[in-house]
Amino acid sequence: MELLYQYAWLIPVLPLLGAMVLGIGLISYSKFTSQLRQVSSAFIVTLTGAAMVFSGALFWSQVQGHAPYRQMFEWASAGDFQLSMGYTIDHLAALMLVIVTTVAFLVMIYTDGYMAHDPGYVRFYAYLSLFSSSMLGLVISPNLIQVYVFWELVGMCSYLLIGFWYDRGPAADACQKAFVTNRIGDFGLLLGILALFWATGTFEFDLMGDRLSDLVQSGGLSLAWAGVFAVLVFLGPVAKSAQFPLHVWLPDAMEGPTPISALIHAATMVAAGVFLIARMFPVFEQIPSVMTIVAWTGAVTAFLGASIAITQNDIKKGLAYSTMSQLGYMVMAMGVGAYGAGLFHLMTHAYFKAMLFLGSGSVIHGMEEVVGHDPALAQDMRLMGGLRKYMPITAITFLIGTLAICGIPPFAGFWSKDEILGSTFAVSPVLWLVGWLTAGATAFYMFRMYFSTFEGPFRGNDKEIRQQLQYEKLQRLGLSLGPGAMNPQELVLQTEADEHEAAHHHSDFPHESPLAMTFPLMVLAVPSALIGLVGTPFADYFEAFIHPHTEAIAAVAESAEALEAFDWNEFLIMGGSSVGIALIGITLASLMYRSRQIDPGAIAKQIESLYQLSLNKWYIDEIYDAVFVKGSRGLAKQVLEVDVRIVDGLVNLAGFVALVTGEGLKYLENGRAQFYALIVFGAVLGLVLISGLT
Amino acid sequence: MNIADLPWLSIVIFFPLLAALFIPFFPYEEGKVEQEKTAYRLRWYALIVGLIDFVLIVIAFYYNYDFSNPGMQLVESYTWVPQLDLKWSVGADGLSMPLILLTGFITTLAILASWPVTLKPRLFYFLMLAMYAGQLGVFAVQDMLLFFLMWELELIPVYLLLSIWGGKRRLYAATKFILYTAGGSLFILVAALAMAFYGDTITFDMSALMAKDYPLKLQLLLYSAFLIAYAVKLPIFPLHTWLPDAHGEATAPVHMLLAGILLKMGGYALIRMNVEMLPEAHAYFAPILVIFGVINIIYAALTSWAQRNLKRKIAYSSISHMGFVIIGIASFTNLGLSGAVLQMVSHGLIGASLFFLVGATYDRTHTLILSEMGGVGKKMPKIFAMFTTCSLASLALPGMSGFVAELMVFVGFATSDAYSSTFKLLIVILMAVGVILTPIYLLSMLREIFYGPENKELVEHEALIDAEPREVFIIACLLIPIIGFGFYPKLLTQVYDAKTVALTSRLREEAIELADTSSPTGALAAIQPFKAPSLSP
Repeated sequence: MELLYQYAWLIPVLPLLGAMVLGIGLISYSKFTSQLRQVSSAFIVTLTGAAMVFSGALFWSQVQGHAPYRQMFEWASAGDFQLSMGYTIDHLAALMLVIVTTVAFLVMIYTDGYMAHDPGYVRFYAYLSLFSSSMLGLVISPNLIQVYVFWELVGMCSYLLIGFWYDRGPAADACQKAFVTNRIGDFGLLLGILALFWATGTFEFDLMGDRLSDLVQSGGLSLAWAGVFAVLVFLGPVAKSAQFPLHVWLPDAMEGPTPISALIHAATMVAAGVFLIARMFPVFEQIPSVMTIVAWTGAVTAFLGASIAITQNDIKKGLAYSTMSQLGYMVMAMGVGAYGAGLFHLMTHAYFKAMLFLGSGSVIHGMEEVVGHDPALAQDMRLMGGLRKYMPITAITFLIGTLAICGIPPFAGFWSKDEILGSTFAVSPVLWLVGWLTAGATAFYMFRMYFSTFEGPFRGNDKEIRQQLQYEKLQRLGLSLGPGAMNPQELVLQTEADEHEAAHHHSDFPHESPLAMTFPLMVLAVPSALIGLVGTPFADYFEAFIHPHTEAIAAVAESAEALEAFDWNEFLIMGGSSVGIALIGITLASLMYRSRQIDPGAIAKQIESLYQLSLNKWYIDEIYDAVFVKGSRGLAKQVLEVDVRIVDGLVNLAGFVALVTGEGLKYLENGRAQFYALIVFGAVLGLVLISGLT
Repeated sequence: MNIADLPWLSIVIFFPLLAALFIPFFPYEEGKVEQEKTAYRLRWYALIVGLIDFVLIVIAFYYNYDFSNPGMQLVESYTWVPQLDLKWSVGADGLSMPLILLTGFITTLAILASWPVTLKPRLFYFLMLAMYAGQLGVFAVQDMLLFFLMWELELIPVYLLLSIWGGKRRLYAATKFILYTAGGSLFILVAALAMAFYGDTITFDMSALMAKDYPLKLQLLLYSAFLIAYAVKLPIFPLHTWLPDAHGEATAPVHMLLAGILLKMGGYALIRMNVEMLPEAHAYFAPILVIFGVINIIYAALTSWAQRNLKRKIAYSSISHMGFVIIGIASFTNLGLSGAVLQMVSHGLIGASLFFLVGATYDRTHTLILSEMGGVGKKMPKIFAMFTTCSLASLALPGMSGFVAELMVFVGFATSDAYSSTFKLLIVILMAVGVILTPIYLLSMLREIFYGPENKELVEHEALIDAEPREVFIIACLLIPIIGFGFYPKLLTQVYDAKTVALTSRLREEAIELADTSSPTGALAAIQPFKAPSLSP
């Protein structure tokens, strides 16, 4: 058993090796390596599979009650100051390892089908592997500084993967936006880390919490400052987990290939924020104001995400906002102190959201056969419909995922969401109300998505809708034609390319995706349906396994008590109310998008302003663009002007003055002694006159 | 003869210079084909000389350099002009050894990078080798007058390399460069003479100068004189304006040397003279340095963002990165100083690689204006990949050396007990703003060059061929240490740790002593962030 732990560092290193081999191959022998498609993917999938088996073994050993394991080495030092790195395997790390490796493994299998015809197939696997490595390194980090290291690395992988199709303008903008927005969060995280280190002298999570509470109690540090430090750290998760107000990057990140949306922007990386809050729990839980901020940020995000998702027509954008909303739930859970519930939702969400995204990828893959490789067409739900007939496996798994996210028992999402809402109610009924309403909205937009994609008639060949979508797309392009946004030529190019693509579609109806894509869907359907059962309120194995370190002993006793004192009444009220509102949402969606008894268009007309607000994502992007982007760009231009005109201008002026005086003096120094004497005489006369006058 | 007794440093300094003297003997030939042949031979000759010299440096380092010794090593001293007590004395300690290694490494790669140079190859390679020697000399000499000579000696090749092989405004840039640096050098000379003639003995020996006890007022004067000279070189705002011009006009190999090594001379000399020889004045000037460092970081990042010319953009980014060096030097902690040295080496590698790639891109697109590029990633995927990697290194991505250096400066400054908490808070926040700005300008640069649909005009008019193996090799050579130090910084820090620790403890002692005897007055008191009394021994 010890051997297993001693070699646990292999888990992130194996995928890293894979990425390095492919990367070096692509740079040195690019043609040859790009042709080794199946070999490369098999190589990477095997390495990830090995990491998965390894993680599974570690997880099992942790479940059996093995003590947490930690291995450190000195990474950097200066004099007597040392920075250490290493890895730690405890319950939380083991759980995250299993989640990350399983999802990554399945996504990699799926990729083989999804990217089969892409020229960047091998490069994609290299990036995927690099990402897995960084993410695995993140979850086994023993201290904050190492978290920060891998935090940045997953951000970099996200940047590379969003911009994977780098010749697409929107993808190019999106990857930059994602990186910069995350850097703003990291700005806070870095400051927070430095401040906490300054106050406590350590980067270790537990030690940090203990020392901080001692400091606050002894009056060495005011609670307000401790709160500021913790909020700064929280800014990191706000960006990474797409919480309001730094959520703007996540929907745009959908420009990346769909497997990436599933792996990074739904299941793993965006959950890293929640993971960090969990790791920082010893610090956060001592500062009530911070917990309140965390909880409200989560609640606002959950509601905001759901309110936008209601009107989205792009299937991936809809899922992206739903991810944001679900992340809001997790953060809210953390904020109300429901540590276990938040992580439980992280796990269930990872599985069902990964499946939903992969399902949407399968749908897009099918649609591309009909409408061509244009994301504006292939991803728009207005062109879909009736796909259940053509893609039965995708439809069934998507339905399971939809039921799971809506919180219908016994699917996974019900148990975790119920637990979050239950714990929230105990702390703040207002927050619970927000969460409860959001649950209703979630059920509505998810079933809206399901119905308009898989039920009703197929609309993919409707020329009118297509034209309208093309028109909308051009309009969008036109809007983003701000200064420096895009070339006007691009617009023309784009339409030309589209016409070209559209002429080349292969069939009139979509087909079910290949086994490489449906297999991961089927596998993911199992945990999406059943994994919630490990955390039911009557037998909460999950909560007993995962709990904050500091509460280790207390929590075990508590959960044992809770098991005995399980209150059916409370469970039925809480569970019943959340299922109830979900059913209302589903019914509404069914009436509007399945049986078409209510016309959604008419409702939208009636509440035009609200509809536009939701459709335009509350205009947050526009506001940011006007205030921050334009503002800082203007500032930069001003500074450059100052540099060129004033700072450098002075230098040139000095040079010019030197030149002019030199030229001028040239005429005075003509070598005639009489002239010099005249000057001396004049000067003396002048001095005498001046001294005489005064 | 024992291997340890060889005059290693003198050998490595003189070897390229001597080898350069043979270049005129390469037969002069008429006809294009023959000329190309000569150019070809010259290239290989210079490259082999560079390589041998680098190997010699490595051997000297490997066999004769002791990590745990904070003092001078590989010392040689020969009397040159006894009347002036002028000696040829060289040596290397933890401060100069990493930079000597860096010089050998970067200059050799720069020679390899100058493969496409066809104009006057004789003179070009002669100057490159002369510069090799001059640069090594600056880092190795231990005599003040000699230092001044070397400092000046290395200017001439740069001036010629700029004014003959530069871009369109090369003469303006070269003149500006020479005026600026020569103007700065004047201050070095004056200060050096003042130091040499102060007290009972006349000496130019650096260790003897260090041992002299200057009164505080003189120290402050000397410090300002040196600071002006090195602020030009490093550069520090507002004395930086020569740099965008010089960097904007230089060809890639010269560019690599400018960014990779010449800027480091400023940082090196700042530590060597201002900090080591005038520690008391440093205690007064440190807060000012910190403020200038922060201005460097933010100001240059903003100008870089607004800059539309690729070379000038990267040039400004160099200025921004040097801000961390200045703050690290002024942090009064082991970690900060260590980070400053690491940042110098790291930027030497990253800056050189970025400038090389800018040159490689220019060779293909024949334009440096960003709006005239766009979408070239498709035609040049290798250059795209390398450019991305180096940009990520430059924006301090973990796993690369820049991150470690910046982190060390951050943590070092944040934990420094030499400044009040408010001042530290303010500075750290501003430094962190730089952390946001760096990716903005670097990534938007990548966006404009490589991403998006292809720029039709460019694709039609220019042959956008992908990187050749030579170019990949150069970048690979630069990336290996960048990533190596990023993964395991001790590889590098152990080389100089003993030195920086000794230096920091000396600085702190002086600062505490100073705090006991006097308190800041005048303009210095107005800034008041520096609270020396709080330093605990």
